[in-house]
Amino acid sequence: MEIKFSGVTKIFQPDIIALEDIYMQVEKGEFVYLVGETGSGKTTLMRCITREVIPTRGQISVGGNLLRKINRFDLALFRRDIGVVFQSFLLLPNLTAFENVAFVLEIMGLTPREITERASEVLKLVGIWRRRNLYPPQLSGGEQQRLAIARAIVNSPSLLIADEPTGNLDTHTADEIMQLILGINAAGTTVMMATHNQYLVDTYRHRVIEIHRGRIVRDEEQGRYEHHGSC
Amino acid sequence: MAAVRYACRDGWRLIVRHWGMSLLTIFTAMSVFFIIGASTLFVLNVRNIVSSLENQMTIQAYLKPKADVKAAEKAIKALPYVKETKLITKDMALERLRSRIGEQAKAVMLLGENPLPESIEIKVRKASDVAETARLLVAVPEIEDIVYAGRVAEKLTKVSGFVEKFSIVMLLVAIAASGVVLFNTIRISVYSREEEIGVMMMVGATSTYVTLPFVIQGFILGLTGAFFASLLLGGTYYAAVTRLKDMLPFIPFIESTKLTGKLAFMLICCGATVSLISSLMAVEKFIRKASKPL
Repeated sequence: MEIKFSGVTKIFQPDIIALEDIYMQVEKGEFVYLVGETGSGKTTLMRCITREVIPTRGQISVGGNLLRKINRFDLALFRRDIGVVFQSFLLLPNLTAFENVAFVLEIMGLTPREITERASEVLKLVGIWRRRNLYPPQLSGGEQQRLAIARAIVNSPSLLIADEPTGNLDTHTADEIMQLILGINAAGTTVMMATHNQYLVDTYRHRVIEIHRGRIVRDEEQGRYEHHGSC
Repeated sequence: MAAVRYACRDGWRLIVRHWGMSLLTIFTAMSVFFIIGASTLFVLNVRNIVSSLENQMTIQAYLKPKADVKAAEKAIKALPYVKETKLITKDMALERLRSRIGEQAKAVMLLGENPLPESIEIKVRKASDVAETARLLVAVPEIEDIVYAGRVAEKLTKVSGFVEKFSIVMLLVAIAASGVVLFNTIRISVYSREEEIGVMMMVGATSTYVTLPFVIQGFILGLTGAFFASLLLGGTYYAAVTRLKDMLPFIPFIESTKLTGKLAFMLICCGATVSLISSLMAVEKFIRKASKPL
């Protein structure tokens, strides 16, 4: 799923410029790291892609859908083709780990058998199968992170948006999660991942887009993790 | 079909997993519908008492000697507001007099024959119709004299009008207050899941998919609350009527099980509908909020 930003500016009231004149194109199947200091605009940019945020100026097109014009029903269908790992996980607290993952498949109209098979498979993949009957508050931070990833990939999305997916994980687990995301990308899913993890960016080299104060200040193929203005 | 199945399952899951909130909603719905039911029964009883008093209001039309009774009855029945007529023959009049004053009634027979005139007892639909009917009766040629309780009719008319207005206001206030309480309770229950609604929308759930379980939950809770309210109301009402009948035997309380059954059915339907609409409105608000981009 390709992403295209044309002159996107987002100003939050009264006058906070979150994004400024962003031009960006991400091709289908690409892997992109979004880097930049906290508050630089990474999360806002990702939220623009999921249409949680609508730009003040400019156009965003995702998979051929002009997000400004999409209606409520089509937005639901569009979101079913996107996997999102939220910074704060946003799991459904009253559903078990298994039910959280199954929910995404239920809304897609899969049969109970398909749902059980697919959800089980993904929970095993992220390593929390044994914890499937626990509720999110009963899971550790790392387990919640894995569950959020499982929920994001269970529907084999065309686009995976991950906001700090390894933020709460130790290096070993972060590495495992990274391998998982790389595997998903290898299967053809476009991945956009916001991260502060220098080790991951420098180890698994891909395109790096750096944002500083709402502007793209660096866009490098096979880039490294570098702060704007450093060195 | 699968969506409906999931919605029913999720609706039930919402009830069970938030059992504290569910119990609170059922208790609120029960209290609310008990108040509405009790107000309705109170109003119905007051109306029944006034109506039975109105039914006792009669106009006595005394006929001229040798008047054509059938013609008089036909003319009276043709008048508007007349509900019922009854011919009181000379013998019946004497019998009534006897029952009222006892053996002294024999005195009237000293004249040789029964001097009491034949009369027609007329019942009208409402107390307010008495004066107008009396005015119309004057024009009937067979009638010699008319006797009715003018002042009582006037007062009863006023009471009846007041009871009618009061009962409507009382019911409206009870329904409005109850509706607001129930709506807010359900809204609080939905409000505690505002974030969940947002997350569901974010992972691609349609508004209908998100709404249905909450609506089913509201429907079940409202229905259950109203059902318990009906049971409680039925039990307390008949117990109260049994005691009141001993204390106030002259007051005609409603005892028809058919009527109370209808009221219970109405309360249960109302409970289910009000809760369903409240849930729908509350969820719709959060769905609109969740789907509105920043």
